Amino acid sequence: MLLSIRNLKAEVDGKAILKGVDLEVRPGEVHAIMGPNGSGKSTLAHVLAGRDGYDVTDGEVLFEDQDLLALAPEERAALGLFLAFQYPVELPGVNNTHFLKEALNAQRRARGESELDSVAFLKLVREKMQLVSMKPELLKRQVNAGFSGGEKKRNEILQMAVFEPKLAVLDETDSGLDIDALRTVSDGVNALRSPDRAVIMVTHYQRLLDYIEPDFVHVLAGGRIVRSGDKSLAKELEQRGYAWLSDGEAA
Amino acid sequence: MGPTAKDMDALVSRGYEHGFVTEIETDVIPPGLSEDVIRQISLLKNEPHWVLDYRLKAYRHWLTMTPPAWASVHYPPIDHQAISYFAAPKKKPTLDSLDDVDPELLRTYEKLGIPIEEQKALAGVAVDAVFDSVSVATTFRENLAEAGVIFCSISEAMHDHAELLQQYLGSVVPHTDNYYAALNAAVFTDGTFVYVPKGVRCPMELSTYFRINAQNTGQFERTLIVADAGSHVSYLEGCTAPQRDENQLHAAVVELVAMDDAQIKYSTVQNWYPGDEQGRGGIYNFVTKRGDCRGDRSKISWTQVETGSAITWKYPSCLLRGEDAIGEFYSVAVTRGRQQADTGTKMIHIGRNTRSTIVSKGISAGEGNQAYRGLVRMAQKAENARNHTQCDSLLIGDRCGAHTYPYIEVRNPSAHVEHEATTSKISEDQLFYCRSRGISEEDAVSLIVNGFCKEIFNELPMEFAVEAQKLLAISLEGAVG
Amino acid sequence: MSAADVIATDVTRVLADGLAHAGGAAANDALHAVRERGAERVRALGLPERRQEAWRYTSLGFLQRADYRPFMDGPFSELQMSDIEDLLLEGHQGPRLVFVNGHYAPALSTPGRSGDGLRVSTLAASGADALPADFDQIAAHGHVFSALNAALAADGALIEVTPGTELSDPIDVLHVAVGADEPVIFHPRHLFVIGQGARAALIERYASLGDSVYFNNVLLEIAVADGAQLRHECLQQESPLAQHLDDLNVQLGAGSTYRYTLAALGGEWSRCDITLRFAGEGASAELNGLMLARDGQLNDVHLDIDHAVPACSSRETFKSILDGRGRVVFDGRIRVARDAQKTDAALANHNLMLSRAAEVDTKPTLEIFADDVKCSHGTTVGELDKDMLFYLRSRGIAEPAGKRMLCQGFAEDVLHNFDDAAMRARAAHLLDQRLARSSE
Repeated sequence: MLLSIRNLKAEVDGKAILKGVDLEVRPGEVHAIMGPNGSGKSTLAHVLAGRDGYDVTDGEVLFEDQDLLALAPEERAALGLFLAFQYPVELPGVNNTHFLKEALNAQRRARGESELDSVAFLKLVREKMQLVSMKPELLKRQVNAGFSGGEKKRNEILQMAVFEPKLAVLDETDSGLDIDALRTVSDGVNALRSPDRAVIMVTHYQRLLDYIEPDFVHVLAGGRIVRSGDKSLAKELEQRGYAWLSDGEAA
Repeated sequence: MGPTAKDMDALVSRGYEHGFVTEIETDVIPPGLSEDVIRQISLLKNEPHWVLDYRLKAYRHWLTMTPPAWASVHYPPIDHQAISYFAAPKKKPTLDSLDDVDPELLRTYEKLGIPIEEQKALAGVAVDAVFDSVSVATTFRENLAEAGVIFCSISEAMHDHAELLQQYLGSVVPHTDNYYAALNAAVFTDGTFVYVPKGVRCPMELSTYFRINAQNTGQFERTLIVADAGSHVSYLEGCTAPQRDENQLHAAVVELVAMDDAQIKYSTVQNWYPGDEQGRGGIYNFVTKRGDCRGDRSKISWTQVETGSAITWKYPSCLLRGEDAIGEFYSVAVTRGRQQADTGTKMIHIGRNTRSTIVSKGISAGEGNQAYRGLVRMAQKAENARNHTQCDSLLIGDRCGAHTYPYIEVRNPSAHVEHEATTSKISEDQLFYCRSRGISEEDAVSLIVNGFCKEIFNELPMEFAVEAQKLLAISLEGAVG
Repeated sequence: MSAADVIATDVTRVLADGLAHAGGAAANDALHAVRERGAERVRALGLPERRQEAWRYTSLGFLQRADYRPFMDGPFSELQMSDIEDLLLEGHQGPRLVFVNGHYAPALSTPGRSGDGLRVSTLAASGADALPADFDQIAAHGHVFSALNAALAADGALIEVTPGTELSDPIDVLHVAVGADEPVIFHPRHLFVIGQGARAALIERYASLGDSVYFNNVLLEIAVADGAQLRHECLQQESPLAQHLDDLNVQLGAGSTYRYTLAALGGEWSRCDITLRFAGEGASAELNGLMLARDGQLNDVHLDIDHAVPACSSRETFKSILDGRGRVVFDGRIRVARDAQKTDAALANHNLMLSRAAEVDTKPTLEIFADDVKCSHGTTVGELDKDMLFYLRSRGIAEPAGKRMLCQGFAEDVLHNFDDAAMRARAAHLLDQRLARSSE
């Protein structure tokens, strides 16, 4: 098992958001987590990545049998966990290439692998850039500073391509993208699908699933996964909305 | 155009012509300042002993002090021995009817839309029986008393609410604070005391009452407002109409205390006589105003519109001691002619999560000079404190000056301070655009200036916002072209 | 006797010692007169007090700890090129003037030939020759240290770029301090005159061999004539125990351009007093500075930008990074004189606090006496953005490295203004090194 989430409960500012989430992900699988606004989708993504301000009150998360929650964010990254942010931050003054190289080599060092020299690194990046059709000049710019919404998301996927994580969590990657950008980003993700790599897509809309076909679809509502199924569940959600699920839960 | 010096002089001297004879001659202490004078003041006012002690302590300290020299204002040294420190109740020369009042002054009142009876009161015309300010005041006080709000003069409070007064007087602005605060503590004539009990929302703006009674505010006035836990009060000081006053030096002290969850909103419209075009005459307005947010989640908000006085020297400040306390300062200051203003605020962040906002709009015209001087201090314990400061200056004409002196002192890394300042003028393009749409140049200036000050006027109680706008237009008449 | 008296006595003593040491050294009458005036001014001014606005936040406590002696002839004459090899700028082609403890070191310098549009001499060597006309015409000597320099300066560079000359390589003025057994004070004094329409670049550097206590009391006068251009880059990496005062006085002629970039990274106490005066219309100036204050460091920049004439523009951007018990003082004054219409000035000051014990005092001031102007200032004080830090960590970069990366990013705004690649690389490297040491 790549990732096991068991009875995960988490709070933000003393308010319970996740109320017992269970989820298992094997290598090669693509899971979509859907749900209405405020259901806890982004909280789940951030808890996995280790962001401050989210208090885990119960449950456990195992990543390749290791206790993920005990690790610092950078240790999780080195293990092969990658979060594509819904709102990637801008890092003024920090050069994008420099950042990518520092991050990649920090992860490699932590895994006991040798660092890439500049030549090998640039070769790698150029190769990966084609995956996301990113303009080369964006590499010379400051990280995300002045990037358009689409450029930021592409930059996230470029990072995913360069780091080659075992598990990528895509947090609302489709938000704010026009159709063309969505296609480019999805193509990038699809190109990175492999038997060794799993993907969790967190999304409100089913539209992303037209481009990245999931193996499993889960519905998160009221802090729990209330329904799991295959991609037909997403279609059903599109037609019927989320309300019937929570009604069902209440009943 | 505001009243000129000549008009003012004429007005004042005419007053004397009309036989100003005070019936309370015995209550006037001859000019000069000494411990004896202070004892006499205290005696005449029949004050409790602790007040006299307080005055004497302040006086002795004042003797060791020198007038502040750091502000960007220039004036000849004040002879404190030439001032009479007691003439209460201060009666002004009384005119027989509005016909005797300077027409320029009346024109201004009309523009401000001030009711005729009130015009009389302001201009110093004897007020007839219809307009009995005392009875009006009494009605208001009954309403307030029902809510439990104490609203009286400091002199009354000395006797009726001695315990409260003793507890709070001088607790925010100590008599050692600065030269003029010390002087005020030694010789204050009277002032206002407000106490709003726990959980009470003051049923009315304490402004209406004040406006009617404003003409007799003294030269060394003292205001103390205490808002107990969970209470709310809004207080408006001053008046939009220009006031006659022969006192050159005004050194008032205002102290505000806000306990847990209490809110005080203090608004000032100041339009004292600014002196003539050559800079002769005019009021020196040297005021110490400070609010103490003692309680958690307390809030003190200062709003000021300063258009008058020859020299304005005031820095309404907030001590943010309680956690999550909020301090605000919104200011419009206008200087024209030879007016000088050095004004701003201090926001002292001590408690965690305290927040402050400073918005200062300065308008300089003619040969007016003004300075924004502000201090934002984030003490070491001011975890996550926030300040945002915006200082904008608008210059009208090429002989005026606008200066910005912000002091920012930060001792806590999680505090966040942002300060921005800009300077601009009314552009020819803006004026031309307005005029090509049929708006006169004067109206265009007023339109643009009002836009510039919008944020501040929004903070004023409604009826005063309207008057402040008109007042601004009047003070800037003839400033362009 | 109060503390101020003790200090004041000290300065008079420093002056007396210095004057005794200088003896009859000033053979040049003009220089002699300048020194006399300086000495007089020292006595008149005395030490600044905290009550004085320009010294409100700047502690002079070190004056009580160290008893500065004038610098006597010392080990500097034995310094060899190999001693300063690490300090040489990679790929530097232009003239290099090295000053050791304030004295010109010919053996370490390559001044180039005079002629070819460049005149290079030194104050000590000026002897009976006439001083350049601009000498002592630009410095305002607003405080006692500047006056002390005027009274006691023994050496310095006198450089003139003749009108119309375009220098292809920057002039590197390197100050090297060598420790003495007791605290020493020296007063280098430089003059740079960029003739009409000329173009030049000046590199000003301060470094030390070993960590010792000394007070480097520098005075610079710079005259940029009409239509001339000067690029001025300064890297201050003094000893962590040193006091450094850089009194920079700049006068800009009509249509001239001046660009100054500062990285002030060293010293226990460091202060830059920059006085810039627009003397002719249509000139422009751009000043950028980075200040680092680690544990126990005080880093102070005072700007006095005088828009005395119309139609000039200035941009001032100063950023600081504070760690440990570091202290930063920034006082930036822009003055727009009456009738200096069409002035365009913008000042920014941003401060990044990495520690709970650090202190920032900043005071951006505008004094405006003309109406048709565009002036603004903006100031911020805050800590590292937590979201940024988390982003970096989520990408595998641990917190200390992430902090350094964000600090470098914060500094980049200033450092990218170094035109000289070697200067930029050195400044960035030093910053990173010091931040890394600081976070250990």
